[in-house]
Amino acid sequence: MFWKIKTLKNIVRRSTNNNSANNNSDNQEKAEPIPKSINAVKSKLEDIFSECGDLIFREIVCNSKLKLLVVYFDGFVDKRALNQDVMRPILDHFSNEKPQGKSKRISELIKESIVNNNDIKETENIKQAVDNILSGEALLFIDGEDKALIVGVKAPQGRQVEEPDTEVSLRGPREGFVENLLTNITLLRKRIKNPNLKMEMIELGEQTKTDVCICYIKGIANEQIVQEVRDRLKKIKIDAILDSGYIEQFISDSRISLFPTVGNSEKCDKLAGKLLEGRVAIFCDGTPYVITVPHLLIETIQASEDYYDHAFFTTFLRLLRLLALLVSNLLPSLYVAMVAFHPKIIPFKLMITIAASREGIPFSSFTEAILMTVTFEMLREAGVRMPRPIGQSLSIVGAIVLGEAAVAAGIASNLMVIIISITAICSFVVPPLIRATMLLRFIFLAAANFLGFLGIAFLVVAVFIHLCRLRSFGIPYTAPFSPLTAPDLKDSLVTVPIWAMITRPRVLRPESGDAEAGIKRQEVQIKQ
Amino acid sequence: MENVKISGIQLFLLIIGFLFGSTSILTPVASAKNDAWLAVIIGGLGGACLVWMYVAIAVLNPSKTLVEILRNRFGKYLGNAIAILYIWYIVHFSALTFRNFGEFIVTVTYPETPMVVIIGIFAALLVYAVNSGIEVVSRSSELFVPLLFVIIIIISLSLITTHDFTAFLPLLENGIKPVLHAAFEFATFPLGEIFVFLMVFPHFNKKINNLKKIAAFSVIIFILLYLWSIFEYLFVLGKDLLYRANFVPHIIASLIPNSNLEPLIDIYLIIGGGVKISICIYAAAKALSQVFGISDYRKLVTAVTTFSVVLSVWVYENLLEMVEFAQKVWPYYSIPFQIVIPLILLLSSYRAKTD
Repeated sequence: MFWKIKTLKNIVRRSTNNNSANNNSDNQEKAEPIPKSINAVKSKLEDIFSECGDLIFREIVCNSKLKLLVVYFDGFVDKRALNQDVMRPILDHFSNEKPQGKSKRISELIKESIVNNNDIKETENIKQAVDNILSGEALLFIDGEDKALIVGVKAPQGRQVEEPDTEVSLRGPREGFVENLLTNITLLRKRIKNPNLKMEMIELGEQTKTDVCICYIKGIANEQIVQEVRDRLKKIKIDAILDSGYIEQFISDSRISLFPTVGNSEKCDKLAGKLLEGRVAIFCDGTPYVITVPHLLIETIQASEDYYDHAFFTTFLRLLRLLALLVSNLLPSLYVAMVAFHPKIIPFKLMITIAASREGIPFSSFTEAILMTVTFEMLREAGVRMPRPIGQSLSIVGAIVLGEAAVAAGIASNLMVIIISITAICSFVVPPLIRATMLLRFIFLAAANFLGFLGIAFLVVAVFIHLCRLRSFGIPYTAPFSPLTAPDLKDSLVTVPIWAMITRPRVLRPESGDAEAGIKRQEVQIKQ
Repeated sequence: MENVKISGIQLFLLIIGFLFGSTSILTPVASAKNDAWLAVIIGGLGGACLVWMYVAIAVLNPSKTLVEILRNRFGKYLGNAIAILYIWYIVHFSALTFRNFGEFIVTVTYPETPMVVIIGIFAALLVYAVNSGIEVVSRSSELFVPLLFVIIIIISLSLITTHDFTAFLPLLENGIKPVLHAAFEFATFPLGEIFVFLMVFPHFNKKINNLKKIAAFSVIIFILLYLWSIFEYLFVLGKDLLYRANFVPHIIASLIPNSNLEPLIDIYLIIGGGVKISICIYAAAKALSQVFGISDYRKLVTAVTTFSVVLSVWVYENLLEMVEFAQKVWPYYSIPFQIVIPLILLLSSYRAKTD
């Protein structure tokens, strides 16, 4: 295994070297200026974008002296805006009047006093022009000038803002993020109206040039974590970023752990809450999933609704989720250990029931459990992958028929079907850990079959040691329980009402002492 | 010195877990029969003096490990030689704890499994923990050791109906001598072993004076809880069974009416024994790395543990020999390491301080 890791590292190193070589050539390209003649520009662009049928060149001759070239990708720009706000004023201006004295450059004239559009910039090199064409802007070249104008007339793309399918809530805002980065940022700015909400844009992916945005609230977020995020993002050298999942895997602290050390969400209110706690978010263009770091274990059993509801219910729900987490990991293995190793622990009457239901089953309880668990995982996966209309009904019917039929045919015992069903239900209670529990369940089953309760206990200890080892951007993963951070226990298993959550999470700022000025979330109001 | 810090509560839980390590299955004061509680009190006082001595040494030599203190006081060569003796003692001691653990599991739950398999898996787990650093060990103990309290409370409350509250009478039936012997055993068996923490104390993150408070607090809590357990054992089992039984807590747990909570003792043992052995392995590996000038103790952890596992399998023929050794030989074997050398260290560091 070590050998493999080493070779992997070498591959990574080699690929980064190649990338740096590419970067050098890019830098040389950057220096290239825009030719003065638009014919040269056109031939240059045609060269770069050869075989790109959707690129549109439009040459306009305003008068004998002024020629313009507009370049954009078809479908990418809002044509109406381009015509009404950019082209018509230019044409009107230059066809009616004679060009004024040469005191001003035409590009400046257009930029400052003719075009209605707000978003207009200048550029002087081909590389930047090409990048902007690719990201959906229209480029305006003027004959006889070495500057081009970038006109922001990007047409709104993609789907509308709607409720996310993956994170449904009964109470609270229903808006979810969409694929468009700017829409997402707007959604967030709508919620946090604060100039300290910072958005740092960077570009990732050698081929895809995906826009990635580091978002945090200055003064609340820990500067060290923000810096660490910047550093880790800068280290990513990859061809493509198609989803924030790519970034997630690169910036995770432990790249091989089963447990997620980077969180994601597509709900605006949840993200706003995380930012206000002092976390850092990473938006990625093209995906509704926004990453948040640091992500701690306790966050997996927190839901955004918890803060909108009464604290008693929340506490109950949190404990329920913890129980579900334990059950979904341990129940099948505890059953197997009990039947195979420790029958005397089972109360006598229950033991008779178990024995009766296991009568005539040809498999050991371990084989039975593995069979049923694998069947369930297959049903689940099929339900996800199938076209939605048939998927859901088919998976439910499949489960019922299979469960019933398996019992009737004497392949699985009734009790095992019940246990696997409970496990399955519980595994959906804590969505961020579904994948971790899915694998851990099998490992626990194997341990139970090997050493009974002792095996399970050993493995539980091992898992917890692993959790204690994990860190997310320098923050201990198991905080606030270990290391014990007493002020943060208010939002852990037992929650207090929102008016009593006076301080922001302290675990995210390990350096700051108790007297930290920015740590207050609200002023304490003393009622008369 | 690696820059790892342990908080007060972590140290407290480590000490509690350490003290409950082997006492979760063996009862060092059982030889005093119905005066066992008296032995706990007397031995507890004696043991508290020992712990006070170790803490005083740590306070007089702040942020120095046992090896460094030994070298400071005895010079390089003699100091290293004594340190090597200490390493042997710690490794031997962790081997005995491994053996306690394995012997218990094999006798009680898994009679057909070879002991070395169980000890080996346990050792692999602890190597993983110790290799992750003392910080991970202490943070895991923060999660697990509170369970010990819960288990003790569950077991005692569920046995409350079977208590015979007169079981500790008559007082001093066999004279004071067996009581004193048992008290001495108790002072050296869990309490005196705290000297191992001289390797851990330098990681403490608060002011060194808080160490006294934490050590005192944890020792008092331990003695009170243990006193409670001993009374409970006496009340439930009576003096003869207490004297004869090999694994008293296990018998206690199996006597709980209408249910079977034996696995709780397994958990109890994994937590206590785990903390105890991982502290020992850490101390031995760290001391070894300091004696031989090896930069990272982690390189030695696997080796030390392997040695300790092998030793644990070789060291006794059977369970009875183990119990005999723990009661008859171990207390005297410990005298130089737990009492004599620390006393010399304390006096010489005190003199160095006052000069």
